[in-house]
Amino acid sequence: MWRYILRRLVWLVLTLLFITLLTYVLFFVMPPTDPAILFAGKHPTPQVIAQVRKNLGLDRPFVVQYFLYMKHIVVGDQYGWPGLGFSFTTGKAVRSLILEKLAVTFALSLGASIVWLMIGVPIGIISAIKPGSLYDRLGMGFALFFVSAPVFWVGLMFLWIFWYKLHIAAGTGYYPIGQYGVFTWANHLIMPWVVLALVFAAFYARMVRGNLIETMHEDYIRTARAKGISERRVILKHGLRAALTPVVTMFGIDFGLLFGGAIITETVFNLQGIGLLSVQSVNNGDLPVIVAITLVASFAVTFMNLVVDIIYAYLDPRVRYT
Amino acid sequence: MDGHPSRSPSNVDQLKGEEMRVSRKGSALFVFGVASLLIATACSSNNGGSSSTPTPGAVTKGGTYRSATSSFGFVGDFDPVGEYTAVGFAYYQMLLRTLLNYTGEAGAAGLVPHPDLATDLGTVSSDGLTYTYHLKDNIKFGPPINREITSSDIKYAFERIDSSSLVAQYAFYYDGVIKGMAPHNGPPKNISGIDTPDSKTIVFHLTTPTSDFPARLSMAATAPVPQEVAKCFTKPAGGYGNDIVSSGPYMIQGADQMDPSSCSTIKPMSGYDPTSKLILVRNPNWVQSTDDLRKAYVDGLNMSIDSNVDDIFNKISSGSLDGSFYEIPPPTVLQKYSTDSSLKPYEHIDPQNTTYYISMNLLVPPFDDIHVRKAVNWIIDKAGIQKAWGGPATGTIAGHVMPPSMAGLGADYNPYGTPNNAGDLSKAEAEMKQSKYDPGHTGKCTDSVCNGVILLNRNEPPWTDAEAGIVADLAKIGINVKARELESGAAYQTIDTVKSGAGVGISMNPRWGADYGDPNTFAQPLFSSQSLIPVGTSNYAMVGMTKEKAQKFGVTYPSGGVPSADAQINACLPKTGQERQTCFQGVDKYLMEDVVPWVPMFWANQVTITSPTVTNWAFDQFTGFIALQNVAVSNNASP
Amino acid sequence: MRQDQSIRTDQLDVGAAAPAPDGQSAIGKTPWQLFWRRFKKDKFALAGGILIIVLIFIAIFAPLIAKFVGHGPNELFDNATNEFGLPVGPSSRFWFGADRSGRDVFVRTIYGARTSLAVAFLATGIATLIGVTLGLLAGYVAGSVDTVISRLIDVVLSLPLLLFALGISAACSVAKNGCLHGLVQPGLRLVVFIIALFTWPYLARIVRGQVLSLREREFIEASHSMGAGEWRIMFADILPNLAAPIIVYTTLIIPSNILFEAALSFLGVGIPQTTPSWGRMLSDASNSQMFTYAWWMMLFPGIFLLLTTLAFNLLGDGLRDALDPRSRR
Repeated sequence: MWRYILRRLVWLVLTLLFITLLTYVLFFVMPPTDPAILFAGKHPTPQVIAQVRKNLGLDRPFVVQYFLYMKHIVVGDQYGWPGLGFSFTTGKAVRSLILEKLAVTFALSLGASIVWLMIGVPIGIISAIKPGSLYDRLGMGFALFFVSAPVFWVGLMFLWIFWYKLHIAAGTGYYPIGQYGVFTWANHLIMPWVVLALVFAAFYARMVRGNLIETMHEDYIRTARAKGISERRVILKHGLRAALTPVVTMFGIDFGLLFGGAIITETVFNLQGIGLLSVQSVNNGDLPVIVAITLVASFAVTFMNLVVDIIYAYLDPRVRYT
Repeated sequence: MDGHPSRSPSNVDQLKGEEMRVSRKGSALFVFGVASLLIATACSSNNGGSSSTPTPGAVTKGGTYRSATSSFGFVGDFDPVGEYTAVGFAYYQMLLRTLLNYTGEAGAAGLVPHPDLATDLGTVSSDGLTYTYHLKDNIKFGPPINREITSSDIKYAFERIDSSSLVAQYAFYYDGVIKGMAPHNGPPKNISGIDTPDSKTIVFHLTTPTSDFPARLSMAATAPVPQEVAKCFTKPAGGYGNDIVSSGPYMIQGADQMDPSSCSTIKPMSGYDPTSKLILVRNPNWVQSTDDLRKAYVDGLNMSIDSNVDDIFNKISSGSLDGSFYEIPPPTVLQKYSTDSSLKPYEHIDPQNTTYYISMNLLVPPFDDIHVRKAVNWIIDKAGIQKAWGGPATGTIAGHVMPPSMAGLGADYNPYGTPNNAGDLSKAEAEMKQSKYDPGHTGKCTDSVCNGVILLNRNEPPWTDAEAGIVADLAKIGINVKARELESGAAYQTIDTVKSGAGVGISMNPRWGADYGDPNTFAQPLFSSQSLIPVGTSNYAMVGMTKEKAQKFGVTYPSGGVPSADAQINACLPKTGQERQTCFQGVDKYLMEDVVPWVPMFWANQVTITSPTVTNWAFDQFTGFIALQNVAVSNNASP
Repeated sequence: MRQDQSIRTDQLDVGAAAPAPDGQSAIGKTPWQLFWRRFKKDKFALAGGILIIVLIFIAIFAPLIAKFVGHGPNELFDNATNEFGLPVGPSSRFWFGADRSGRDVFVRTIYGARTSLAVAFLATGIATLIGVTLGLLAGYVAGSVDTVISRLIDVVLSLPLLLFALGISAACSVAKNGCLHGLVQPGLRLVVFIIALFTWPYLARIVRGQVLSLREREFIEASHSMGAGEWRIMFADILPNLAAPIIVYTTLIIPSNILFEAALSFLGVGIPQTTPSWGRMLSDASNSQMFTYAWWMMLFPGIFLLLTTLAFNLLGDGLRDALDPRSRR
């Protein structure tokens, strides 16, 4: 088991190295805009451009830049550890920038994930227990709808209906707890939570339903019933454990994915999280931020993949790891 | 929650979905409306509103101007030595004082330099090479420096300009103009051409007579800088922009907490965070009697970042913000304020010194043929473009290059004027028939080069909304373009790099604003062959390109040649006063009739929306934005 | 961008979905006949299929429809916008209202079907081609080939999707000829390229899993002992058995690719305005909160997008259930 974990960790580091290299090649070697010119402002002279290039550290060969970047990540730079450099746009340390935005994304992700688990899993369970019934049809209808609906359209519709027309929801924007208090903070997050959650809830409902129905037909469930255990216990104790195991692992991966920022939800609701930052930084040619976000997002995904695999191995005795 | 725009009866379309609501709430709204009207009328004597001069005595001192912007957009990290953005200058008008500056009012009067730190407009030697200024008494730096401003402090600002690592983006206004000024690596060092015989006198020695030199002394890079603080910032990242020491009526909040005793104790001032806010408070060392350019009514400025522009205008409606800054109000807001007479006083429409235009690359067929360029000028539906921008409030349709605040050719000169500004197909076809790309004289561009040429655009509204009209207009005369939308910075970079610009035939993304009130700012950088540099040129149209230069830059030189405006521009440079104005008017005419590098779209207005709390409105013609140093508010907020 | 849960095959029992070619039922019907019988009974799947056919028809006959209405997709109408550039709403002249440039939203919505379907089919097709090939190689040849391909799959799946999509799109939009020496031009080609680039791993993974289990079956052993070459076994024996899962998962990937394209358009990845795209129309509706005024710009393209993805999801669900003898509805 430990050898497996070790191997996976090594692989995680290698993957991240490769991803940063890829990001570097994409954004530094073939950038859409030359940051030196971009940040040299209006009517720059060649000297100004050269100086800006130097200031941004872009005058050195690509390999040197990449090496320095990786070195800073490991040992830190003048802004702390890990050393992610400074943003071309604002001159601010990328590290603190990312931490700030992560807080927002985290607030969004955590709230949404609680909501989607609370909605999706029960719907899936009920649908599975009573297949073909009205509950099932309604539940799966809801799931099918939100699996098919584009997130940004749902978000816009929600804004239009609940904020603009009915005035029962707060508008867009993120209001940090520190400045505005818990109520305003939560008030402005409710719609993004719900919108983001609905899409995931739909997936989870379908998945839980499918898994549970499969599980309910397994032999050991039949055995349990034959032994005289109450239907309720059969479902809750035996059925759910097997059915929900994949849900747990799926949840881990999805949560990791959200660390790349729920770009669309953040754009529609104007939440200054990692997702919106990534869009802005690509648009602004802010390379250090782009690379840093890629790093954070990929790390989250690969790490959660590892965590999830370990948990799955723990939960499901049938799985063996070589 | 409050914050959505209230519905005025003229928005018939929207009411379809909500007639029920309106009728149920109808009576309540009516009563509320009448009541507020009565209250508003009763109190209206205090509401100054639109761009008129304030009634003396009605304007209140105090309060904070609370505003929001989608992003600061600084390109120089807010360090005055190099920050080359108009919005940066708008803040500097509160923070800094220069030898000469402006009154912060709208119109031509707002572009005339007045003495600010200088006692008068200075003495010029008879050969035009020596400028002498004396400093006023009682002018001090703000906290934490607190000492008298001396001529050495102003000289130090110039020394910083020449230190390359600080990236003074408009150093070209001074290098080669003032003796001894040239960029160098290394920290600021002495400039031989600037003398400071005593702490209150400064003398500039020029290399050649430069009639707009006084205007160059109004730029923020020349504002005095205390060496004791700035010497710590010889490298730019996280530089002096975080610790600007004030010379004006306001300072960055937290400046008094900054400890200047040594470089290691200096921390960024708390009131400025490039990603979230800029808060300015009163500078206790500023003496009103020394400053007749700034009224400084407000106690401070609170500018926060809100990337959702619509949100900003919602907040102004709801009263949590006092006014907008540089953002163009969305058309729904423009409609609301323009059509509702109770709201109209809070919509401030002021002409900037900016032209929005379509640039044609003189090297790229079919735009290398002047007849094609003229045909394009005839066909473009400028009224449609104005509509896409949000209507007449957003600007005046442009008939020529220089905006009215510059050389002043006026609306009468419109060589390609068409009925209702909608474009004229017959005139365009008549022009096209004379082109070599229409060999059959059909009135349409029929050569193969007319198909697939790239039209560059920004990927943000309202540019994207105006695109369809321009594409359709060009198609009418046979030019079938492939539109490409890029991020604004990327779009600019494509056309300011000669090589990549040659891949784009026509671009609708650019706009150009004057740096200060001299018409040459709309001539040399844009149309002179001197401005043609391989990367970073502002002469996007490639006017004055020669065969040799084209070869050097690696682009094809068209067989028909490329017109130049050098002779016309250079003839105007030594002139002054009215002669200069008239000469540059001639340049404008020459450009429009004999070079035709542009289709000028419109001369922009800055539309600023305020809430009733703004009791004095002021517009700074120099920056083209609200004159923060002269507005007044009635709220009691502290910064 | 979340992919459909059934694409994630980490826990999928790989043998289950493929009907065994030698599993004849007692009545003697072929597996395909069995499949069709089960599929026919699924009303929702049929409805999905019919809806897709209707949409394809709409896409094909879009120009005719436009002609009937009398408005072109890029035709500008001056009286469709007021002096502030705000568009008119649904009326007898503009069934779905107009947009800020003065174009007919109904006609553009109809044409949008072309874009969405074209991108979805093209991108999915390319992704399938790449994914099946690589999955086949990885699963059958195994060894180091498998390691390399599997690692590649892992890397691509770990990349932050939209970030890279935006970056690649930006990089390819600047040069006159786009990327890859003119092969990938900004516009439709670029979008197809990006989508295919990020979705082939899903198929590759599934195919790999299937192949891994099929490899051990007796009929493959039999082919071996008969002296068949590796390539022949791959294409003649294994590939046909992959047909069913490939069809199912391809159909299920299509709706997420449609949404992916819409999301890219929404975020500004460049299909030029002259090619109407639902995602772009929704993006226009959200600019300057235009949808609070011009709700029609948001509602109609969104509904069409929803119906299209719904149809493919229904169809895909039905196919999966019909092809998998063990699944229960």
